[in-house]
Amino acid sequence: MTGSKHTERDQEIQRLYRERPRSGFLRWSAFASLLLVIFAWSKKELWNEEFFSERRSANFERFLGELRPYPLQGTDFDLGVAAAWAGDVLAEKGWTAAGITLAISVAAIVLAALGSLLLTFFATRTLATSAPYLPALGPVSRWRRWSWRIAVTASRGMLILMRSLPEYVLAFLLLAILGPNPWPIVLALALHNLGILGKLQAEVLEDLEPRPLAALRGLGASRLQIAAAGLFPLALPRFLLYFFYRWETCVREATVLGMLGIVSLGYWIVDARARNHYDEMFFFVLMGAAIVLMGDLISAVARAVVRRAA
Amino acid sequence: MPVELQTDERRTGEKNTGPASLPRQGGRLLGLRGSVIVAIAVAGLWAGLVLDLRPGDLIPSEGGLSLARELFSHALSPAWTYEARDLPPGIQPLPLKALEAAQVTIAFAAAAMSLSLVLGLLLGFAASTATWSENPLGGEGPLNRLRRGARPLIYGSARVLIALLRSVHELLWAVLLLAAFGLSQLSAIIAIAIPYSGTLAKVFSEMLDEAPRDSARALRAAGASSAQVFFFGLLPRALPEMSAYALYRFECALRSSAVLGFFGYPTLGYYIAASFENLHYGEIWTYLYTLFALVAVADWWSGAMRRRLVG
Repeated sequence: MTGSKHTERDQEIQRLYRERPRSGFLRWSAFASLLLVIFAWSKKELWNEEFFSERRSANFERFLGELRPYPLQGTDFDLGVAAAWAGDVLAEKGWTAAGITLAISVAAIVLAALGSLLLTFFATRTLATSAPYLPALGPVSRWRRWSWRIAVTASRGMLILMRSLPEYVLAFLLLAILGPNPWPIVLALALHNLGILGKLQAEVLEDLEPRPLAALRGLGASRLQIAAAGLFPLALPRFLLYFFYRWETCVREATVLGMLGIVSLGYWIVDARARNHYDEMFFFVLMGAAIVLMGDLISAVARAVVRRAA
Repeated sequence: MPVELQTDERRTGEKNTGPASLPRQGGRLLGLRGSVIVAIAVAGLWAGLVLDLRPGDLIPSEGGLSLARELFSHALSPAWTYEARDLPPGIQPLPLKALEAAQVTIAFAAAAMSLSLVLGLLLGFAASTATWSENPLGGEGPLNRLRRGARPLIYGSARVLIALLRSVHELLWAVLLLAAFGLSQLSAIIAIAIPYSGTLAKVFSEMLDEAPRDSARALRAAGASSAQVFFFGLLPRALPEMSAYALYRFECALRSSAVLGFFGYPTLGYYIAASFENLHYGEIWTYLYTLFALVAVADWWSGAMRRRLVG
């Protein structure tokens, strides 16, 4: 309890406080984000309209009433009637739409994974260089060095381009070009996810422990051999985890992309809304939610299996 | 050759007699991982059959081909002025129009993110096992017993709520809210904010769970209160990852907000769809490049933050 000890400790605390890591960029970022939020909420278009006006709330109440299955509107709730109505909707449109939604998501993620396997390795800076993992034995020509650098930049650029275009916009454009078949939606979803998978997988490959790969290189393995015998098996568990994570998102997007005109759930949702059949619309939204929850469950189980195998 | 030999051994059910240092790969023909890959391939084939995906359909028709040619020939020459002949008087120049659409896109995304950050943080804390397990509520008495009993209830309902919030896509929320309230900017923001809160909460809770708990335990041992342990022990260890992820989600929100334009909101998607319908191919690229630029800036920003925060 001596005074000197106290000041010593205080000084140490003060020194630690002074020498804490600081970054001007992070402060500036925090400030900019705050400004951005203030700007967003201060737009007068948000506050001009009366969100909770009398007319709106009357509309909303009517809307809530119309969410009830059509044969039950204005009567007491009867589970039997509701189940019969739901069964009819399912038999007429629901089951097929659900199957198509799932199939779109699966086809898209499988194509994305296949495509990303091609591009990922070219986007991996540690592999796609003139001297992977070990210094080159002899002099490397400038032409070779630059062609590898261009390959990496080009494949990274392609990945960025693919993932920066929202899948909905991509599907919209592709639908106009390819006409009404499932390809535009599958391709749009596949390309967007290829961009994301490629980026994530290239990061995984670059973070791998380099020494075993250098050993392969030292034994004279080519880049293809290093990729096939070293990189791929080492990174496969992570690749599979990302595959299932992205598949979850694909299921979500597949419910929506039908809105563009392919008869998945989204198509029937927009169709029911256009016919003012809000009960059906709501039913299909709930069905979409059920499919997404199921997808999340399957993916969680699959990821657990992959983790166990890893 | 050795690979073949191994498979043969497995097929005949003989024991692997290789060196003990080689990892055993399980007794079955396919490992767990192999069966996962086979399952994926089968699922892919099933999907192709259900959708009737024919490679021949990938070749566009005559009309589609000329449209594609028209569209991509404008890729390098985005429009700087309107392509329509009869312009309403007093209309702003096209670049300003694109900037305004970009500004609305940003505003929707930022407003939605601010809402979902609040909800996502609260739900994420509630749904994290670390929040609860690192704060053992000791002591007897009815009040403490009640608090202990409420914990699994809060945890469970937070998990369920997160799954439900995430299960409906933002565009479906937009359609629902459009039907319920009509075209209102607030409903666009809410539509994005609902599923984003769920996703943020899910990832935040996972990050809190995976963050190191040493400082929380040290604080606990020094006699800190539950709130102190959480805010000075647990949260700071997960905060860098959480902020980097939040910024990444802002980038996603920009895309979502742009797409909401297809439903009538004045974001970039609205103008992309409108110029496409009017066959103004140059204008499409003006708006597309604006969107690219927005996403690229957000991507750079979140990347730079991530490098400084997470390393």
